[in-house]
Amino acid sequence: MLQVKNINVFYGRIQVLWDLCLEVKEGEILALVGANGAGKTTLLNTISGIIRPSSGTISFLGRRIDNLPPHEIVQLGISHIPEGRRLFADMSVLENLEMGAYSRGSWKTRQKTLEEVFHLFPRLRERAGQPARTLSGGEQQMLAMGRGLMSKPKLCLIDEPSNGLAPKLVQEVFQIIRSLREQGITILLVEQNVRQTLEIADRACVLENGRIALEGCGEELLKSEHVRKAYLGL
Amino acid sequence: MLTSILDVLIAGLLLGGLYALIAMGLSLQYGVARVFNISHGEFIMLGGMATLTLFTVFKINPLIAIVICGPITFVLGYIIHRTFFRHLLTSLPIFGEITILCTLFLWTVFRILADYNYVRLNQFAALAICLVIAIILDFALNRTAFRRIHESRVAAGVFESTSMLFSFGLMFIIKNIAFIGWGPSIRSYSFLQQPVSIAGALFGMNRLVTLGFSILIGLAFYFFLTRTRIGKAIRAAASDPTVAQLMGVNINQVLALCFGLGAAMAGIAGVLISMCYPVNANMGIEYTIIAIIVVALGGLGSIPGSFIGGFALGIIGSIVSFFEPGLALVAYYFIFGLLLLIRPKGILGK
Ligand SMILES: Nc1ncnc2c1ncn2[C@@H]1O[C@H](COP(=O)(O)OP(=O)(O)O)[C@@H](O)[C@H]1O
Ligand SMILES: [Mg+2]
Repeated sequence: MLQVKNINVFYGRIQVLWDLCLEVKEGEILALVGANGAGKTTLLNTISGIIRPSSGTISFLGRRIDNLPPHEIVQLGISHIPEGRRLFADMSVLENLEMGAYSRGSWKTRQKTLEEVFHLFPRLRERAGQPARTLSGGEQQMLAMGRGLMSKPKLCLIDEPSNGLAPKLVQEVFQIIRSLREQGITILLVEQNVRQTLEIADRACVLENGRIALEGCGEELLKSEHVRKAYLGL
Repeated sequence: MLTSILDVLIAGLLLGGLYALIAMGLSLQYGVARVFNISHGEFIMLGGMATLTLFTVFKINPLIAIVICGPITFVLGYIIHRTFFRHLLTSLPIFGEITILCTLFLWTVFRILADYNYVRLNQFAALAICLVIAIILDFALNRTAFRRIHESRVAAGVFESTSMLFSFGLMFIIKNIAFIGWGPSIRSYSFLQQPVSIAGALFGMNRLVTLGFSILIGLAFYFFLTRTRIGKAIRAAASDPTVAQLMGVNINQVLALCFGLGAAMAGIAGVLISMCYPVNANMGIEYTIIAIIVVALGGLGSIPGSFIGGFALGIIGSIVSFFEPGLALVAYYFIFGLLLLIRPKGILGK
């Protein structure tokens, strides 16, 4: 579904991603784990068009997207739920969700999508009129995810959704990600929470210093000596 | 005594309406498009001078001039953003800048050659040829060497300073062109000057019209921002431009739209100003300064703040003028200085 081929990404003169290849298959949860600063967020930003690779190609559903601006990439069906929620703080919960459906195609069907999102996150309906900044951390993450779903994506890039949440909420977030996959949405999930992520992922990649260090199905990586030592502290 | 207090307050509201309109425009350009637009007042001047010409030469009613000058200044602002500011947003000199630099370079070379009689060509024809060559070169470079880096954006702080410097240059360009066209003389025309009595005090009809339009535009703009799809995109872009793009917002278009709308508000303010006060090609800078003070008073980037700040400054100006007409601008500077010391965030700033 999504093919990333040999991309190199720089911030100024500093290279962050090195000749990186990655494939996301339709209908799966692909987890991307790795230490802080490994380049996970940079990879997602490159896919969604915020940063441009200096070489290499990215294609989605057979179409090259590495030279498209972000707003056109969303229209093709990729939704990026950014690290740190990044809500529009002074806009209401409802307006944040509406912004998620900003693209022409999804704008027309936004009422129907809104009902689906409210069904998934009932708390958001209760809080619809409040400014986003008044929500609790958990609710903010729900809103960020709901907003990302408003564009009716085929592929969701989710960056550290469990960061800063209480264990119970973390469970809930992973539950929701699983249910998205059951609805047919393909997911590229970036996480620091390695154990739980590998448990729900179909496949996983370990990113180290801008390169893919390991790749395999979730269970395989859970058993791998390297992952156990470096990421699970065993 | 009571009537004169009322007089002063109403006069302050009348003045404040104009200030509010001017400041909302600047606030939109700074708060969303991140251009601290020093040339803001020049768009006011263009609106004012154009209305004067339309009225005196073509006998066009100044109220109709609003629907002419508004769209024209909008388009002008939009194009300026899509060309010049758009390129300051990216890290390399690209389309536009290369054209200008190459044209100047080629034309200079031509003139040197012409001085020594190596070529014989009308210099305007030569300028046209240089321009065509430069555009082709620019286009070719964009399609090849700069293609990938085209969209990589400079840091927000870098853009804020380069765009401010550019707008400073733009101020001189617009002002000088206006000087060539209109000359330096101060002119006015009379329109709707019949007095209207409010609470015992007399005010010109034209000034009431001014206030009416300012409030109308303020309200219309408020509904545009809160109720429409594009309006919400503007607010989202003001809050987080990167994430707005992830939602599907074409950020370059929205930024140019904001700059254009800001310019249109300035243009319309210029039309309204010309109904009440004399205008000349040199008037822009004074209004730029007032706009900056109001925007600082209301809170940098806060559009409701600018609206309220405009009326606040208008009333202050009117009170000071009541005692000593020459001191209004001095009072504005004094408030500006005081504000920076006591509450740099302004009334509604965060
Ligand atoms: N805007 C930026 N400018 C310069 N360097 C950056 C920028 N963003 C991230 N980096 C650097 O790139 C590397 C990868 O960062 P990031 O992609 O955020 O990693 P991760 O998401 O895996 O924690 C880090 O070394 C970080 O310091
Ligand atoms: Mg990250």
